[in-house]
Amino acid sequence: MALDTATTREALLSVRDLTVAAEGGRVVLDRISFELKPRQILSVIGESGSGKTVLARALASWLSAPLHITGGEVLFEGRDLVSDPAHARSLAGREIAYVGGNPAGALDPTMTVGAQLVEKLRAVRPDIPAAQAREKAVRLLEAVKIPSAERRFHEYPFQYSGGMMQRAMIVDALISDPALLIADNITQPLDVTVAAQILKLMRELNENFSTAVLFICSSLPVACDAADEVMVLHAGRVVERQTPNALVVQPGHGYTRGLIEELPTLWEGGPEGRDTRQDREQAAIMSVRGVAKHYETRGKSGKALVQAVRNVEFDVFPGDNFGIVGESGCGKSSLMRLLTGLERPDAGSIFFENENVGEASPRRLRELRRRFQLVLQDPYGSLPPQSSIGSIVEEPLKIHRLGSRAKRRERARAALSEVGLADSLYDSLPTGLSAGQRQRLNVARAMVLEPRLLIMDETLSALDQTEQGKLLDLFERLQAQHGFTYIFISHDLTMVRRVCSRIAVMYLGETVEVAPNERLFFDPGHPYSRALLSAAPTLEERRYRPEDCLLEGEPPSPIDLPPGCAFAGRCPHAFDRCRRENPALRSRGGQALAACFLNDETPEEDRDE
Amino acid sequence: MSSIDIAPEALPRRKGRKISARIWSEAFSSIEFRIGLAVFTVLVAAALLYPWLSEIDPTKMNIRAKLSPPVFMGEGWSWAHPLGTDQLGRDMLARSLVGLRYSLLIGIATTVLMLAVGAMIGLFSGYFGGRIDTVLMRLTDAQLSIPMIILAITILGVSRPTIPSIILVLGLAGWPVYARVMRSTVMSERKKEFVRGAMVLGANDWRIMFTLILPLVLPPIAFVAVLDIARMMIFESVLGFLGLGVQPPTPTFGNIIADGRKYLMNAWWIATMPGVFLVLTLTSINLMGAALERSRNKIYGGA
Repeated sequence: MALDTATTREALLSVRDLTVAAEGGRVVLDRISFELKPRQILSVIGESGSGKTVLARALASWLSAPLHITGGEVLFEGRDLVSDPAHARSLAGREIAYVGGNPAGALDPTMTVGAQLVEKLRAVRPDIPAAQAREKAVRLLEAVKIPSAERRFHEYPFQYSGGMMQRAMIVDALISDPALLIADNITQPLDVTVAAQILKLMRELNENFSTAVLFICSSLPVACDAADEVMVLHAGRVVERQTPNALVVQPGHGYTRGLIEELPTLWEGGPEGRDTRQDREQAAIMSVRGVAKHYETRGKSGKALVQAVRNVEFDVFPGDNFGIVGESGCGKSSLMRLLTGLERPDAGSIFFENENVGEASPRRLRELRRRFQLVLQDPYGSLPPQSSIGSIVEEPLKIHRLGSRAKRRERARAALSEVGLADSLYDSLPTGLSAGQRQRLNVARAMVLEPRLLIMDETLSALDQTEQGKLLDLFERLQAQHGFTYIFISHDLTMVRRVCSRIAVMYLGETVEVAPNERLFFDPGHPYSRALLSAAPTLEERRYRPEDCLLEGEPPSPIDLPPGCAFAGRCPHAFDRCRRENPALRSRGGQALAACFLNDETPEEDRDE
Repeated sequence: MSSIDIAPEALPRRKGRKISARIWSEAFSSIEFRIGLAVFTVLVAAALLYPWLSEIDPTKMNIRAKLSPPVFMGEGWSWAHPLGTDQLGRDMLARSLVGLRYSLLIGIATTVLMLAVGAMIGLFSGYFGGRIDTVLMRLTDAQLSIPMIILAITILGVSRPTIPSIILVLGLAGWPVYARVMRSTVMSERKKEFVRGAMVLGANDWRIMFTLILPLVLPPIAFVAVLDIARMMIFESVLGFLGLGVQPPTPTFGNIIADGRKYLMNAWWIATMPGVFLVLTLTSINLMGAALERSRNKIYGGA
């Protein structure tokens, strides 16, 4: 391990009593001290607001007002960066590289990726000739496993997928041969399977390029996966530092212990319990039959058809917590737009309480919307920025002309208190609210109409673990009180495992598996479900190993889909028939359905390894 | 995410008050707003009341007192004409204030008309897009291709240049810019999540357009429009200068300046006084506008 060889050498980075405060004296980082040896990977974890990003920026000399360093020193190769800002600036980007969590925002959309990489290198090392810089960029793009790097070098960022952009950002950081790489939340916006690939890549790079890595993230399993040592940050202080194994087995600090206990689990507790079997006697509240939607895009080579949703089928019964999981680009959001009637499907039908949402008149649709509501993903963009909190909650009542002014106010206040927002916020703007509070507000707005069905589109993905837990409790309570049925659209398997009774797995616009919770997690019927499970970040012993479940590569583009099963290209079990025919959803018994030929051929074995 | 929240706990302190009321009181507490308001009020009050109270007729000629300079500004000044007189011995203060009356009327009415037409066209065009957008925007292009001054000369030359017709001509010539700006901001707003959220709540297009998007995009454009009040007042002066504005003997800034031009060498004040009033008015309006915008940003920015 890198750790063993590194202990003999002296520290690359040594931080002593680093204190950062905001204007007005609020201390954000409080006497942080740690050492980082060459070639070591150190994870820093902590919940949002614990000062992780501030620490990363302080080390990369990128603190901006009102934050400033008020004490301590940062020794990089023996020289203090705090007292010598000029030296620190000369190191930033050259010896100390920074990768952020927003690759789409960090890349210049008007320049090719290659040009940006070359420009970056020549900005910090003007002595390197352009041709050599280009060569190096291509070599590194290959090293981060960007397919046909030579060609991709000349492409623009928008032609890259999210995972590829993140890889390009890593190249951007590594191209100047830094001694220290600060990776700030680089896997957070990525899908689990892609994030797993990036983590693997980080480890390889760390070995090949002997770069020390400060890996900052908010998820404990990811941090433990990625690093030699894990440092826990809480409220601006380092509370402990241990190797991942020791940390998980014997957390030294109460905060860490709480973090580990709170961590939702996938398999712990066995297959029993979490599910209430669907009551098939009841009529389905929402039933989706063979729904498809495609969009036309115009590219350089003329029109192209993006098949966003191809063949989705499932039923949601009253009182269900129905989950829809899948990676980005699998058509979850398009499906959400179809389910809520924002768009109409090209084929198939969506029934809500026996009324076809896809064919309802706009007027009828508006009436139907009183009974099904959507809670959106982005806590910041989904609230009108200039309305007061009270009027946001009253708005749906006004739209549907319900009640008098006083009555509306009363109902809005009641909804606010139900989601746990203080009454005193009624007349203030949502500006000051945290992400969690904003999502509570979103829930209040959706439930004030007293709908029967609530669709949660990635509602919790922007929140940290603690806040997620609180909101899930809230959902449970509201369900018990009002008898809501939930549809959770999510990419987060642990969340889905915790709350959903029945889960649909989507891949490239298709439902590949629909199964009750424990059936999906303990006996998945589709190789893709297994691949998802294998990549899910967890501290538990994995039931499925990534090596067995997933081949290298990214999903095919929804523009030119291969014939046959869409997953065949990444599936280790694919055979001839998979590449010719597309399997349909088929029952596997016990209310579980899966779309895979393997189930026909080997009905009972070969599922659990 | 990797953004740094500095003070999430700092929630708005003042409770139980409407947000618009908070913006106004915030603006009112700033010194600029008060100065602007004071100057503006004094000017408007003077324009409305002075000619009536002082019983000086701005069109009454007094050849014996012609071209007398403002007080303390050369020989032969008198307290009877604090800002001097013009070539026909008419009192400059009364003339300027009556001119201000018309200029303000024309400037504000024109800008409101321009903004209303432009904002509506831009709102529809940006919100619905597609064919409606194409038709409205080609209309805008057609309008933009006709120079304002030629349009004004044609229309006012043919019909009689009365105040309503001047307002109409200037207003109709000026809206395309607003339509363009409005369209592009509406287009970007309408794609945001909260618009989709409102749709799912069951809001129809009109509701989204007028209660959600319009209040959001109009204020920044309205602050630009405040500057356009000045432009329109000057444009009215231009029309007056060309003889297509308000007809003499009714004084407006335009025809006062046009008259004063001939006497610029020996009676500089005739052309200058309307300018001084113009500057004072516009500065006061801008002070208020800027203070209002600042307080609006402050409240909505959450700082």
